[in-house]
Amino acid sequence: MERRTKVELFLLDNLIWLILAGYFLINALVTPRFFTYNNIINIFYHSTILGMLVLGQGLVLMTGHLDLSIESTLAFAPGIAILLTTKWVPGLNPIIAIILTLLIGALVGLFNGYCITRIGINAFLQTLSMLIILRGLVLYLIPLAIYGLDETYIFFGRARTFGNIPVAVFLMLGIFVLFDFVLKRTPFGRYLLATGGNARASYISGINTNKSIISAFVLAGLLASVAGLLAAGRQNAVNNTMGDGMVLLSFAGAILGGVSVSGGKGTSIGMLGGTLFLGMISNSLTLLGVNVFIVYALQGLLIFVALVLDRVKVKAEELLFRREMLKKLGISMKKD
Amino acid sequence: MIKLNEEEKESNRENDFIVQFKDVTKIYSGTVALHKINIEVKRGEVHGIIGKNGAGKTTLVGIMSGIIDPTEGEIIIKGKKYRSISRQRAKKEGISIIPQESQVIPDLSVVENIFTPDYIRSWGNFINWKKMYSKIEKVIDESQININPYTRAGDLSISEQQLLLVLKACFIDNAQVIIFDEVSSSLTKKDEEVLYRIIREQKKKGKAILFISHSMEEILEICDLVTILRDGKVIAKEECACLDKDKLSYFIVGGEYNYKEHKVGEESGREEEKESNEIVLSVRNFTKFGAFQNINFDLKKGEVVGLAGLRGSGRTELFKAIAGIDLADKGWIKIGNEEKRFTDPAQALQNGIVYLPEDREKEGLIDILAVRENLTLSSLPCLLNKVKLINLEEEKKMATTLVERLSILTPSIEEEVKKLSGGNKQKVLMGKVLSANPIVYLLDEPTKGIDISTKKEILKIIKEELSRFAGIIMSSPGLEDLILICDRILVLHKGEIVGEFFEDKFKEIDLYRAVQGVRDKFVENN
Repeated sequence: MERRTKVELFLLDNLIWLILAGYFLINALVTPRFFTYNNIINIFYHSTILGMLVLGQGLVLMTGHLDLSIESTLAFAPGIAILLTTKWVPGLNPIIAIILTLLIGALVGLFNGYCITRIGINAFLQTLSMLIILRGLVLYLIPLAIYGLDETYIFFGRARTFGNIPVAVFLMLGIFVLFDFVLKRTPFGRYLLATGGNARASYISGINTNKSIISAFVLAGLLASVAGLLAAGRQNAVNNTMGDGMVLLSFAGAILGGVSVSGGKGTSIGMLGGTLFLGMISNSLTLLGVNVFIVYALQGLLIFVALVLDRVKVKAEELLFRREMLKKLGISMKKD
Repeated sequence: MIKLNEEEKESNRENDFIVQFKDVTKIYSGTVALHKINIEVKRGEVHGIIGKNGAGKTTLVGIMSGIIDPTEGEIIIKGKKYRSISRQRAKKEGISIIPQESQVIPDLSVVENIFTPDYIRSWGNFINWKKMYSKIEKVIDESQININPYTRAGDLSISEQQLLLVLKACFIDNAQVIIFDEVSSSLTKKDEEVLYRIIREQKKKGKAILFISHSMEEILEICDLVTILRDGKVIAKEECACLDKDKLSYFIVGGEYNYKEHKVGEESGREEEKESNEIVLSVRNFTKFGAFQNINFDLKKGEVVGLAGLRGSGRTELFKAIAGIDLADKGWIKIGNEEKRFTDPAQALQNGIVYLPEDREKEGLIDILAVRENLTLSSLPCLLNKVKLINLEEEKKMATTLVERLSILTPSIEEEVKKLSGGNKQKVLMGKVLSANPIVYLLDEPTKGIDISTKKEILKIIKEELSRFAGIIMSSPGLEDLILICDRILVLHKGEIVGEFFEDKFKEIDLYRAVQGVRDKFVENN
């Protein structure tokens, strides 16, 4: 393959980082107070919660399904864990609260995955019902919010380390890198993508496709509960509307990051790019003083743009390959 | 017969022939599917078409019903000449086709299915259900088919669904030319009789019938005239009354091809391996109700066994049952020292059985993944390092080796599989099963849908690479491929093994007859 085509393909594959860099440069020049150390840290910090949801959603999308319930899990998991350790069984170690939070998230995912693979419920409807059930329970159990959590519990969401960088940022980056590794280097990651690419062929090739799908949902639940932990930590509270409406942004982030809606494609690093892009947009618009609701509408527009971008990318790739083929044919014809 | 003078004969012709093909040729990128075909379909006549797989039957039907455009030649319908006909034109001229695989809309009732899309309407554009019900009842009475018109079409058996389409074509669409494209392959014995009766009645009504089949018995039973196709050419056109199975199979198969000269992969070194008598797979009393019964055979290391049979003879089902994809009901297989029945392809793979599916796109490849990822999909467990991570270097090496060994044409091993050509996709699939390093290969039509040169390469790969350390069972749509590379051929007919042929006794004509279910060939030969 020609060097030029290779470079172009590489850029297409990492389109989101290209867009991100471009957007960053423009804002650095135009938006006041954008290009400062604190603001950049801020963008990262504000992306952490959404980042966990994007990654979870992306993993499920890769297997060819989708998970609407993650935004409710985000509130449900820390909510139940906090209620358990402070109200129902007072005096439990806050570390146990953290473990419980993660466990509840994973269990929600397990239940989703089980119903979808074993009982055969459509993923959209299964997770939609879960979205409503969990939110309903949270609204009932936590009338408004529980304030003043334990120091240990809020550590991950609130603490800052050297250079005033929040722990949450390192946690997010660490998790994204970890999943990049998992997707590229472990059979598990490969099987996840294969299952999404063609479930029947994967099954015949000896892959336990149900296990792949269930695992993806468990991970989505787990990551949603991590997001919940970060959100609770940041506010030093668990309130009943945490995460409301974020699931749509999780789709936007995953798709912008190059995850295919029909499964089988996606990278962790791409999703990180998608997340940061969303974070940067809302940050810059807020700095420019754009109305909050307009920002919300623009984020909706982004989902649409992401979908169009996905199609454009496929077309552009095809064009590149056709050009390559034509060249090859031209050369071989000359030889004849 | 009284001899008519030439002129009268000529004019008679013009009136009788509804559809006429003149020198119709169809060329697909390099291969000739049909070569100067002349065929006439006449009122009040059942015209049979028979030929092996790849003889051009499907293309012929496609052209006549307006699905495929011919490359050359003309089609004459009721005296009017056409270069090619569209689907609409065919319908307008009363040409109706009953396809091989029934295509009913499962959630609609029988009545709705039959009248879609030409509902009887009245009062402007409202559907007149009353009229449709009375019409359908009349039709069912007339045809004496036992179908309840008010049930869901999806609840009918496959056989009944097929009859439903026959009803639609014969009685509702009021077609002048009815094409039956291997319709009977999905019919039960009883429904077959019904079909024959309907065809005879239609014939009496003066309709022209084109009956495509791969079964000699059927052709001889129902047709007045049969055209035999071979390699896209018309080999003979005979009255059925003066044909028997011997003659017909001779026409179909043609002269005995010298397979010995074309044998693939008889290089040195194979002989000694062949001598190993180690049995790698035994199948005993293997049964799946409705698909195959009492299958017994052994497979030796290094042996290539062909599984010959018509569509619906249970080949694919047998493969899938052995590989644990669809479960068998009875019997067991023995691999290694254990007798078992697999319930999961992963299990079969662990025990050294790998299945190459017939449907490359749906069941074989993951087309949005790279060539590398596809090639190593079944063998990832062997590519792990000490901490259970994929050893990317090893993986690349394995993929590169496979690409070279199978001469897969791809720009790089990172190319998405969907961008490869059909033959190369098939080679990737081949590489995937090869990389799993099994002791038994189940190859379901490995040469399907690929061009001739690739086919040769793939056969060579099977004979030389795959059979080195394993036993192979393979099937093929035609007999030729099996004759070329197999050491032994098992013939499957209606789910049972009806014959076993050894390499020195491969005669295409005998095999062909066995596949057709002709059991008494020794008696007939004498």
